Amino acid sequence: MAEVDPEELVGTYYAPLYRFGLSLSRNEADAGDLVQQTFYTWATKGHQLRDTSKVKTWLFTTLYRDFLAKKRHADRFVDTDESEFVEPVHVAPSAVDALDASIVQKALHALDDRYRAPVTLFYMQQHSYREIAEILNVPIGTVMSRISRGKAELRNQLSDVAAAEGRKIVPMEGGQAHG
Amino acid sequence: MHRAGEASQDDARLGEALRKADADPELARWWNEEKELDRIIASKLASTQVPAGLKARITSAAEARPSVVRPTWNRAILLAAASIVALAVLFSSWRGPFAPALSVADYRDEMVGFIKVAPNLELESSDLDRLQKFLAKAEAPANFTVPKRLQQYEPVGCRVLRFRGQDVSLVCFKLGGDRLAHLFVTKATAIRGDGSASAPVFAAEEDWMTATWTEGDQTYLLTVKGDRENLEKFLGTS
Repeated sequence: MAEVDPEELVGTYYAPLYRFGLSLSRNEADAGDLVQQTFYTWATKGHQLRDTSKVKTWLFTTLYRDFLAKKRHADRFVDTDESEFVEPVHVAPSAVDALDASIVQKALHALDDRYRAPVTLFYMQQHSYREIAEILNVPIGTVMSRISRGKAELRNQLSDVAAAEGRKIVPMEGGQAHG
Repeated sequence: MHRAGEASQDDARLGEALRKADADPELARWWNEEKELDRIIASKLASTQVPAGLKARITSAAEARPSVVRPTWNRAILLAAASIVALAVLFSSWRGPFAPALSVADYRDEMVGFIKVAPNLELESSDLDRLQKFLAKAEAPANFTVPKRLQQYEPVGCRVLRFRGQDVSLVCFKLGGDRLAHLFVTKATAIRGDGSASAPVFAAEEDWMTATWTEGDQTYLLTVKGDRENLEKFLGTS
């Protein structure tokens, strides 16, 4: 097994793990705790991982499992996709680009739990569908379905926010007022 | 859905779809817009700020107890080993395949280790009743009695920790200046050994003095910096 440099491991993954933890918990303190917990688990059990190429997936899986373990029984994820597919509305990329990052993050946080995790991992652009499926411990088809639905919901929310932001725009002199 | 560089069982269909997109300007425009929208959202989410102190908290944990490792080890092993020991006492919220009841020494060690890293509080309030309601809602020990003399001090906040799968309530009290007292409460069944004593059992953990005792079905752990005499002031035993 190739050696993993603990310092390098922390440096490489603490930020993306924090963003994933923040998306799951929607709470900065909890996200920080989840990341610390993940590296603690690595320190105690990481040696059991034989294939070091799986370190990234292992860390995200560990954080996700710890998050689930902390969730109370009442709001555990369900494994069935019960909600109906939401038809995505058209959102112009430029409208989203004009939004503050915190607004996009807020829209992501508003997603249902079952979509938020896979959509977050999707937008991190670090994981294949197969890896996301492994992290979330669901079939790859379910991952693709949830990402598709989650993205549709996210776009609908961003469309609403972008429209609201558009209405806030103060027209330049001689320009046209919005909405 | 398509992600660059990812092989999929749908590759053939995807390839066909992409060829159609190439041949259909409207479809191509839609496809490019989709990719652009994904790129923008990904970029917005990637700009989420990470707390400045987080990396330092993680790495400082690894350096907290360097003396426990052998000096002949190389740096990477030393760091990993230090992480194992230090993180074991610094992070409380883990669950592992361990026996449900552990010694009071383990408990004391982990709880004191936790407060050394200045933990985040889940609720900051000087209202004890509000804190207990918060803990009750979190299904953590909430119906506990604060030692009489400690009641004179204002709470700062609380949070829920976990010790080997058991919920632990932590309430911090402001003693004056930047000094704090930390009161931990958990189910007595989580601890074995002298943690079950009804009279406080004192033990020092480096700069911290601790007292552990059991009342009813709950085990209490109170810690302050300083010596035993200093701690006894808050227990009302001196």
